[in-house]
This record gives sequence, structure tokens and C-alpha cells, in this order.
Amino acid sequence: MIAASLGAFGIAAVLLWIAPRAFAGRRAAELGVIASLVSLVELARIPTGRPGALWAEVDHSWIAPLAVRFHVGVDEVSWPLALLTAILTLACCVWLWQSETSPGLVALVMVIAAASIGVFVAQDLLLFFIFFELALIPMWFVVARWGDPGLSGDQARRAATKFLLFTVTGSALLLVGIVIVGLQARSLQIGDVRGTQSLAAAILIALGLAVKVPLVPLHTWLPDAHSKAPTVGSVLLAGIFLKLGTYGLIRLNVQMLPASTHRLVPWLAVVGVVGIIWAGLACLAQDDLKRLVAYSSIGHMGFVALALATMSRTGVLAAVFGSVAHGLITGLLFFLAGSLKERYGTSSLNDLGRGLYGRTPWRAVAILVTGLATIGLPGLAGFWGEFLTLRAAYEPASLLPQRLSVSLMVVATVGIVLATAYVVRFARLLLQGVPTRLDLDRDLVRREGIVIIGLLIPIVALGLFPTLITALGPQIGYAP
Amino acid sequence: MKAGWVIPIDWTTFGPATFVASGALLALGADLIIPHRSGRTVRWLASGIPSAAGIGGALVALHRTRVGGDVWTAHGFSVVILAVAALVVVGSVLLIGENAMPLGEFQFLLGSSAAGGLVMVGASDLVTLVVGIELLALPSIALVGLRRGDRRAISTAWTFFLTSVVSSAIAVMGIALIYGLTGTLSYSDLHTDLANDPRPAVAVAVVLTVIGLLFKIGSVPFHTWVPDAYRGASPVVTAFLSSVSKVATLGALVWLLVIGLGSAESSWWPAVAFVAAVTMTLGNVGALRQYDGVAVLAWSSIAQAGFLLVPLGPIVAGDWRFFSAPLQYVAVYALANVVGFLALAVVLKVRGSTTYGDLEGLARTDPWVGLPLAFAVLTLAGFPPAIVGLVTKYIVFQPVVSEGPMWLAIVMAINVMLGLAYYLRLVAVLFVAAPSAHRSIDAPLAVRFATIVVVVGGLALAALSLWPGPLLDDLTVHLTGS
Repeated sequence: MIAASLGAFGIAAVLLWIAPRAFAGRRAAELGVIASLVSLVELARIPTGRPGALWAEVDHSWIAPLAVRFHVGVDEVSWPLALLTAILTLACCVWLWQSETSPGLVALVMVIAAASIGVFVAQDLLLFFIFFELALIPMWFVVARWGDPGLSGDQARRAATKFLLFTVTGSALLLVGIVIVGLQARSLQIGDVRGTQSLAAAILIALGLAVKVPLVPLHTWLPDAHSKAPTVGSVLLAGIFLKLGTYGLIRLNVQMLPASTHRLVPWLAVVGVVGIIWAGLACLAQDDLKRLVAYSSIGHMGFVALALATMSRTGVLAAVFGSVAHGLITGLLFFLAGSLKERYGTSSLNDLGRGLYGRTPWRAVAILVTGLATIGLPGLAGFWGEFLTLRAAYEPASLLPQRLSVSLMVVATVGIVLATAYVVRFARLLLQGVPTRLDLDRDLVRREGIVIIGLLIPIVALGLFPTLITALGPQIGYAP
Repeated sequence: MKAGWVIPIDWTTFGPATFVASGALLALGADLIIPHRSGRTVRWLASGIPSAAGIGGALVALHRTRVGGDVWTAHGFSVVILAVAALVVVGSVLLIGENAMPLGEFQFLLGSSAAGGLVMVGASDLVTLVVGIELLALPSIALVGLRRGDRRAISTAWTFFLTSVVSSAIAVMGIALIYGLTGTLSYSDLHTDLANDPRPAVAVAVVLTVIGLLFKIGSVPFHTWVPDAYRGASPVVTAFLSSVSKVATLGALVWLLVIGLGSAESSWWPAVAFVAAVTMTLGNVGALRQYDGVAVLAWSSIAQAGFLLVPLGPIVAGDWRFFSAPLQYVAVYALANVVGFLALAVVLKVRGSTTYGDLEGLARTDPWVGLPLAFAVLTLAGFPPAIVGLVTKYIVFQPVVSEGPMWLAIVMAINVMLGLAYYLRLVAVLFVAAPSAHRSIDAPLAVRFATIVVVVGGLALAALSLWPGPLLDDLTVHLTGS
């Protein structure tokens, strides 16, 4: 089933690559939709098994001299994230259902989706690393080629290159960390390694993943890449790529190297909370809506880092929940910001004018609801991620000093206030006020509506029924 | 062995080399007796077939010795040298169009040089090593300057010659000192003799010998000839130089340092580790500033030389687990490098230059050349989908991470990142939307034939990426006794 979900994307990518003329415009997007649906169904079909065990496990010998295996499987941590990837890819393909869509772009989206699901399902460290790297070049092309070139003409390329260089630096450190783990544990299977005590490995792996998450101060690639990327590029970056980082931190640091990660968690927690505050303040000063959403992502990832740092069962649960919720909500926000940018050619709050309620009511309502979900309004998915994080921080596992943890919790709460402030600010600037009507004003088109409703359903569902995720793994934790 | 001067000729070592050398001589002879009127295609066939036959014979001879399961055979390195030489001999079809290049002499020099490489990796005493080095180096120098009437080629050959002579002199000086101090030239005797020798002169002698070899692999501070020579020569020649001389030198270094001078590890490893770190960094920084395909690969080959040197110390320091790491790394490097340079040679023929401007969109307009080139570059970078490159990067990291020093592992990680910066830039150039001016023109038959070679090489890399296991298994050095 996992192989089928990877294969669906792979076949679609190959078809689009070898026969771009047969799949021009809408046809390319349709093929993408079919592949994503197949993949989503195959992933959803996986019977949920015992927490702590691998579901739908596939294990083949691959590179025998190095004991590298083609070993994939999902569990309560990776399954929701793999599903999230398939859902967002489906949304991206629906979004691309327009006549000017290039088959190349859809093909790259397919590769990115397959590689990301590959990261979530890989149970072999080298396989994990291969999938981790595989998505980078396609993402570079998505941003550089279909991004917003800006006034000077090469801003998208610069942003893409900055993103790539930051990430590959992290990857190189990650590779060294994996080599250390492999040598010490004499195995590359994530399940076998649990319990290795190498501080160097934990630091290198955490640093490498922190670039991807991103944690302050390694976040500087993110606002540029997001604001210049095309709509689907931003969605995939925020919705999926950042999750590769948080998932890696859960799986490789918290679960695989708990003994040595203990010594890092105070730093991780502090850095996460600094990110929450920093991003909240930065959001208050942004004029560009896409940049604003990008900074808000850093804040949300700060919450996830804080949750992870508690290294408790609730913490891991909060991290998974927060990651999924952020993927859906921020993905949707980027779709909305992208729809504004595609229509008006700018995402500057100043240039977009005021009074969207009067000009395009449906779009305005969608923006408001998603904005509220970002704050963490109870009843929507964002609430549970933040609530569980604060809960976990109040009761950390013995490893994080409780006084530090509770102080951080209080500071993180200030971050929620900041989030409310920036959402209210852009709601006031963009949605309310006397409508400044522009010639381009037009409300949501059908494909936009489908994507928005399609993503709002899981956001509301997870908000009302958090047990959809929490019931998966009462055992979520680092002791399998 | 200490008693005598007699160095026994070991036919398991010299057999393959003799085949290749004979093929080279036959090629030269065939070129002489062919009538002057005959065209260059006939000439290429007349000299290429004996040359290829020699390589084939050597492979057969190697295969036979392998059955015996010999302990110290340099089997793996020899196979890689021969495979690379075979690819270049076939790829030399491109030289048919280059009227300034004498074909018979080319095959002769190439064969001699390859034979030298085989001798180097098979050497088990220092005199044989020196013979091998010279047999490899002198024809290479001639290869660089072979194009008639090309002043630039001659000047680069001259630079190459001077640096080569100086480094050889240093190495011979070191070897003379070693002989004076220990009274033996054979690796196995040196191993026991140097074990309990605290004299500082031994350290000096060992370092001098190693320095001489570092030149051949193109490491700092003898790297300056590399970009010059690689750009001055035809890319076909460069494909050969950059691969064979590195494989041969590394093979020689593994045997010399690990077996011959293994007990003096403390005197050469700090120097080699330092040189490796500086080499990879300088090579990568140099490559970052280049905007020409050949120049980028030339500088990258300097950086790769640094990576090649890295496992040598840990092999001695640790157990023998990592003994195969240099061979496995260099085999994949050599294949990717040859494919890359041959692809660039085709581009040079078709588009007249290999600057980034002319490489734009190559993978779209000429996928048969562009895709293998992109794949070869990704292999050198160690980046998926070229998994085989990533796997060998992993292999080369292992020894250092295991045995240290840790700073070297960090320097390597930084260099992997630096390398990606320019390798991926080159890949991006190959895939950008091509300006319409760059439609590929109808290529002559020779270019198409060379393209087939490139495609086969690219497919080999792709297949290895899916199943790296069998290759790594074949290139695992089995030490049945020591």
C-alpha cells in the first residue's frame, strides 16, 4: 500500500516527463489529481495497528554491503503526516486546474510529494536521507522557475538558491550524524538504533533538521523562499517541507536518540519559544501577506519545537497534532494569499486595498476563518496543537527543568496574544474598512472554492474531533 | 628479501600491464603501416582496435588471477583503470574530427599511461612504484601537448612536465632515504622495519615519498597544474587524465601507506589529513568561481582528490573494516568523471564551447547528452537521484567518523555543501528553459557514436543507483591474511 502510494506519484511524474504534450494545461492537473487520489486512498486504507509497531511494513534487502534496507512502514506519528502530504498534494493539483499550467510543474509537485511521503515512511536511515534530499532540486525548480521574479528579475532564483544552500548545509550535518549513528549502532534501521548514546550525533542531526523546521536563527531562508514561490510552492514548502524537519526531530532525536537528546532539549525549548515571539513581532511589521504567513509558520514551528522538547507523551502528541494542523491551516492561508497574488499581481496589504468584505465576500470570509484557525480558535484544528503544547510544557518529562518549562509556557502564551494581534491587524487592513474597489475584483472561482472547502473540512473535523489523531496513539512516546 | 637487489617479477602484477602495453605498441605500429591516403576513420579503427584488444586481454588476464584469490592483488583498482581506459578508447572516436590530433600516437600514449597505472597499483616495492609512476606520468604529459600547432596545449604540457619532474624528484629522494635508513625496498619488509624506528629521518623520508605521490593525485600544493592541463587538453584526454591518474595514484597510495608505511602512520597521517582538508576546500572554492563545464569539473576533481585521501589514515588506525572505502569511492568517481568529460567533449563538438551559456537547456534540447551529464554531475555531488554517489559519500565518511579526527569530518561536511553549490548550479543550467538559438545541429556519425558511449555510461550510473549492492560487493577487498 505504501509502495502503491509512492508509485502513483512516480508513474504520474514519469508520464508528465516523457509526454508533456499529451498532458498540457488542465490534463496535467487532472493526472495529478488522479495520482494524489490513488495515493491518498492507498494511505488511508492502511489498517491502523498497535501503537509503537509498524503498520503496512515492507522490508527488503537493498544495499547489502552497507546493510541498507528498503524498509518502509508507518506508525501513529508518520501516518497522519503522510496523509497530510497526500491531501495537500491533491489540493495543489486541483488548484493547478487551469489552462496555463505547465506539465513540468505538476511533475515536480509529484516528485516532491513522493519524496516527502518517502521521508515519512522510511525506516532506514540512509533511505530517509535519500528521500530527504530528493525533494530539494524539484523544489528549487518550482521556486526558481515558476516563482515571482520580482522587480530585478532574478529574485525568485536567488530565494530558491538561498533555500537550497541552507538546506543542503543542514543535510551535510545530518549525513555525518547518520554515519555516527550507523557506526555506533551497527545498524541503519531506525527501530534497531533506539538507545544509542552519542551526543555528537544528536547535535548534528538536530542542527541539520533545525534548518528545515526552521528554528531561529536558521530561519532566514524561509520568508524569502515563501514570498517568491508560486502558490503551490509555498503550500508545499509550508505544509510539507517544514514537517520533514519536525518529523525528523520526533523520529530521529526524540525517539531514536532519547538519551543524548535529553541534553539538548532545554536549548530546543528556548529556541522554539524565541521563534514564537520573534515571528509574532515580525508578523506585526509585515506588509506582504505571503511574508506574513511565512513568519507565522516560524511561530507555529516554535510551538512544535517546545512540545518536542518536553519529551513527554503529550509533547509528542502535541507535536504531531501541531504539525498536521499547521500543514492544513497554513497551507490554506497560502492558497488564499496566492489567490490574491494571482489575481492582483501583488500580495502587499497596502496595494490590495481595504474592504474585502464588500468587494469579494466569499474570499474575505475564507481569509477570516483561516486567520482565526491560525490563532488557535477552539473548535478548529489549530487549537489542539497549541493547547496540548502548553499542557505538555506545564508537565514536562523530568528531563526539562520544570521551572524553565513553565516560564517558557508563559512566554509562549504571549505568542498567542501576538498571533491574535497580527491576525486582527491584517483582518482590519484587508477585510474591513471602506471598500477600495479595483477593476480586478472577482470572487473565488470554482477550483479555489473546492480547495478551500476541501481543506476547511479536515480543519473543522480535527477541531471538533481531536480523537481522530489522539486515538491513534495513546502510546505515542519515545518508549516503544 | 633484504639481502638481494633482485626484485622478482610478479606476473600477476605485470601480466595485465603487458597486455595493455603490447596493445599500445601494436596501435602505434598499425598507425605507421597504414597508407597515408587512408582517412582518419580508418586510422582510428586501425589504432583503436589493437588498443582495445590489449585492454580486453588485460581484463581476461586479471580475471584469471582473481580465481586464485590472491591476498594483495590490486585487482579492484586495475579493473577500474581498465574500464576507464576502455571507455576513453571508444570515446576517442571524437578525435577523428580533430585533425591536429595524431590518432596512432594518442592510442599509444594512452595505452602506455594505463599500463603505468596498472604497474603502480600492483607494485609491492618502491622501485616498481617509481617505474609505474614515470610510465604513467610521461605519456600523460605528451598527451596533453599532443595537438599539433596548439601553443596553449604545449605551454600547459610544459607546466605539467615541470611540476611532475619536481615531485618525482622529491619522491625519489624520499625513497632513497628510506632505502638508506632501512636497507629494503619491499613493502612487507618496510612494514616490519619501520615499526620500531623512532628516528626523525624516517619521518622525513616517509613524508617526502608521500608528497611525490600527492602531486599525481592533484592535491594541494601541487594542484595548480590541474585546471590548466585539463582545460588545455582535449576533453577526451582530460577524461582519461582526471580518472586514471587518480585511480592509479590512490591505488598505489593505499598499498604504500597502509602496508609499506603503515607502521609509520603517525608521521604521514597528520600531513595527509591536513593536505586532504585544504585540497577539498581549495578545489571547491575554485570551482565555485567557474562558469565553464570543463573548468568546473577540473576544479571539482581537485576537491574530489581531497575526499580520496581521507580514508587512508583511518584504515591503518582502525581495523580493516574500511579497507575497501577508497576503492569504492574512486571507482564511482572515475566512472562519473569519465561520463561527464566525454559528454562535455560531445558538447564541445556540437556547440563549440562548454561555457554555461552554451550548456543552457542541454538536458532539454539534447537529452541524450544532457541527461547523462546531469546524472554524472549529481553522482559527483552525491545527491539523489544519483544514489550511488550518495552511497559512496557515506562510505567515505564512515572511516573518518569512526576513527577521527572529528574536525576532518566537519570539514568534509562543509565541503559536501560547497560542492553541492556548484554541482547543482551546473545541473540547474542544464535544465533551464533553453534559448531557441541552441537547437542541436545534425551531428556527424562520430559524435553520435560518442553519444552512445555517454548514454551507456549514464545508464550504468543510473543502474548502479538502483542497485549499488553488487558493485560494492565486487569492489570489496577481501583480506584473507596479513
